[in-house]
Amino acid sequence: MKKKKTLSLLLSLIMLFSLILAGCSGQNSSGSAEDSGGKVTLKFWSFWGSETRRPVIEKMIDDYNKSQDKVVVKHTFVPWGDIWTKNLAAVAAGNPADVVVTDINDVSHRAKNNQSTDLSQYFDDNMKDRFYPHLWETVLYDGKPYAAPFNTDTRLLYYNKKAFKEAGLDPNKPPTTWKELEEYAKKLDVKKGSTYERIGFYPLWGGYGAPSWMRNADEGKNFLEGNKIAIDTPAKADALSWLADWKKRYGKKTIEKWDAEFANGQTNPFVAEKVAMYTDTGTFYTQIRDSGKDLDFGVAPIPAYKEGGRNWSDGGGFVLEVPKGSKHPKEAADFIKYMTDVKAQKYWAEKNYDNVANKEAAESAAKGMDGQEKMVYQASIDNLKDTQLAPIPIQYPDFMSRINPQIDAVMLGKAKAKDALKKAEADVKKIKRK
Amino acid sequence: MHQQRPRENVLHGIDSGTETISGKPVPVALKKSKTAGKQRTENVNHVQKTVTKSSWLKSKSLRENLAGYGFISPWLIGFFLLTAGPLLFSLIVSFSDYNITSEMTFTGLDNYKKMFTADDLFWTSLWNTLYFVLFSVPLTTAGAIFIAVLLNSKIKGMKIFRTIYYLPAVLSGVAVYFLWMQLLSPGTGLINLVLSWVGVEGPAWLFDPNWTKPALIFMKLWSVGGGMLLYLASLQGVSNTLYEAADLDGANIFQKFFHITLPMITPIIFFDIITSTIGAFQIFQEAYVMTKDGDGGPAHSLLFYNLHMWNNAFEVFDMGYASAMAWMLFIIIMILTAFNLKFSKRWVHYEGGDNK
Repeated sequence: MKKKKTLSLLLSLIMLFSLILAGCSGQNSSGSAEDSGGKVTLKFWSFWGSETRRPVIEKMIDDYNKSQDKVVVKHTFVPWGDIWTKNLAAVAAGNPADVVVTDINDVSHRAKNNQSTDLSQYFDDNMKDRFYPHLWETVLYDGKPYAAPFNTDTRLLYYNKKAFKEAGLDPNKPPTTWKELEEYAKKLDVKKGSTYERIGFYPLWGGYGAPSWMRNADEGKNFLEGNKIAIDTPAKADALSWLADWKKRYGKKTIEKWDAEFANGQTNPFVAEKVAMYTDTGTFYTQIRDSGKDLDFGVAPIPAYKEGGRNWSDGGGFVLEVPKGSKHPKEAADFIKYMTDVKAQKYWAEKNYDNVANKEAAESAAKGMDGQEKMVYQASIDNLKDTQLAPIPIQYPDFMSRINPQIDAVMLGKAKAKDALKKAEADVKKIKRK
Repeated sequence: MHQQRPRENVLHGIDSGTETISGKPVPVALKKSKTAGKQRTENVNHVQKTVTKSSWLKSKSLRENLAGYGFISPWLIGFFLLTAGPLLFSLIVSFSDYNITSEMTFTGLDNYKKMFTADDLFWTSLWNTLYFVLFSVPLTTAGAIFIAVLLNSKIKGMKIFRTIYYLPAVLSGVAVYFLWMQLLSPGTGLINLVLSWVGVEGPAWLFDPNWTKPALIFMKLWSVGGGMLLYLASLQGVSNTLYEAADLDGANIFQKFFHITLPMITPIIFFDIITSTIGAFQIFQEAYVMTKDGDGGPAHSLLFYNLHMWNNAFEVFDMGYASAMAWMLFIIIMILTAFNLKFSKRWVHYEGGDNK
């Protein structure tokens, strides 16, 4: 009897310990990945796990692994929704990956909060020359690079040439100003009874939202430049009421109905030829291409606020970053240099039809293309000179949460643009961080 | 079925609560464990030398206590290792500007001050949440009772109806939200289509700030089946003799419902109201999934308390403030529950208790 009891106690203890050990084993194996066969193993996290992107990034990594014999890079796919919180948790736990793909707009936040590594000692002075300047500026914190730009995007105006011809417009003359945009849109509308069969243009559909239009009007000035506030400005207020007028013209009902119809993203209104002009990134071309429709379309820069103004556009992008606490920052920086060099970047550009951060790679990728493919890609490269990012200001990390409801209020006709922006500016000032 | 069990346990908890008031078994048990605890400390401190090891083990009440702790040890270990630590940590963090990596400075009551003075969205989110609680809790409770009463009648094929009404409670999570986003679509959604048949032009639901919260409440009503099951079980426990007596007195169906059925199921109603109030205060997923980028919907009309807290914690990584918000929600729910408990004595009827 007693023996049996001791035995069962022993067994349960063993099981308990094995559980604890199993819990630890994950950490052990990744922690001891120092040297495998004399080589350094680098952990690389990306969210590129789709059927199209994963083979591309893995081929690039494979090429790097073969190109030298000191470092082996191991790629881990971490889903989009998890990757940055996981990275943060790993940094806090002191066991992060060596290279992580992160958002370009909050590089300075991670630099300030001790979550990423200063790479200035690993990058030489001409490193910055390979990138588009607006991208490079965004990865600097206190004048030092904390990441390297990898890919980017920019908003363009897509227009349906067939619809242009039907409406008696010159298909080779896309609108260049806001005024022209309005005129063209009116001509491109097709209305049957009280319902629209085709809408010429609605500025808030596509990739260029209300904040972008307001920035476009205000000479490219964002709501916050650094920590300087420029929310309640005449140009921005004018842009906001201009947006509200569009909604008034098409009617609240129409817009809400169309919004909901295309909200799930299964069909795109421009590809379905329900909307004649549409803003989106260069990569949107692949959606048109893959739709199987032989859509006759053109691309143009975003129209300017006033004649002679600049065709401001918005963009975003991703960077390669070395999390704080990486055990091999030097090797990680070498890997980043390879990934942002011409060969790797060109491969990424060609395979994914994506704007890349490396200037030379982008140009040479465009040279190898033809037809519509080349037209859109070249236009997107040219557009980068007028493209701006929206780095998140250090002292106001969630400023958009105070501006968005005011924009909504104006769009719903519940407030005047001027008053709404005044309120937004006051609200943003309240949440300033020390 | 799975859902029912923990709820039943809580019910028993409520029952034994009345037993404590009536004064029998629980105090005895309490006394026992107290003396056992004393005995053990004495054993450890002084008596150890004189009492041999075997007699220490032989003490029956101690052994029973140890066995008891052994049985609840999975929960105890889980609580102390996984829950209590983070709980305490979040309380400490709520008085600091913790951001996971670089900051952990004690800032006193700053976070709580910010909540009431600087952060307007705190009030927006609190108002949205209260609105949701005020409408969804009574409506789902009434709806569940109503359906349960209907499904309690003896008709052929009743089991099929019960299954149909319970089915929505089986489906859950993000898939249901996507389904409802399609149903609520203003142009092509089924709901507005049905409304148009009776000549009503449906609103834009999730796109109109005036209709977003009603849309969510409407969606919640669809899955009252879970609560319905609970009421159905308690309805079947109402003794037939009561109805027979009422029949003899000539009571009509409404009198029977309001004077017999309803009082007899008040313990379940009470339990359902408390748990669904807590659940409604914690609404998060619906708003996170059904709004663009989880930003709280048009004009922040779906910015619920937990969504605002989540944004603070995982979008801007202001963990200190988010923790403070979590504790504030805890306090609010605590007060409401205490109020509920106190108020309950006036209307909750426990069979067999002296009901004081």
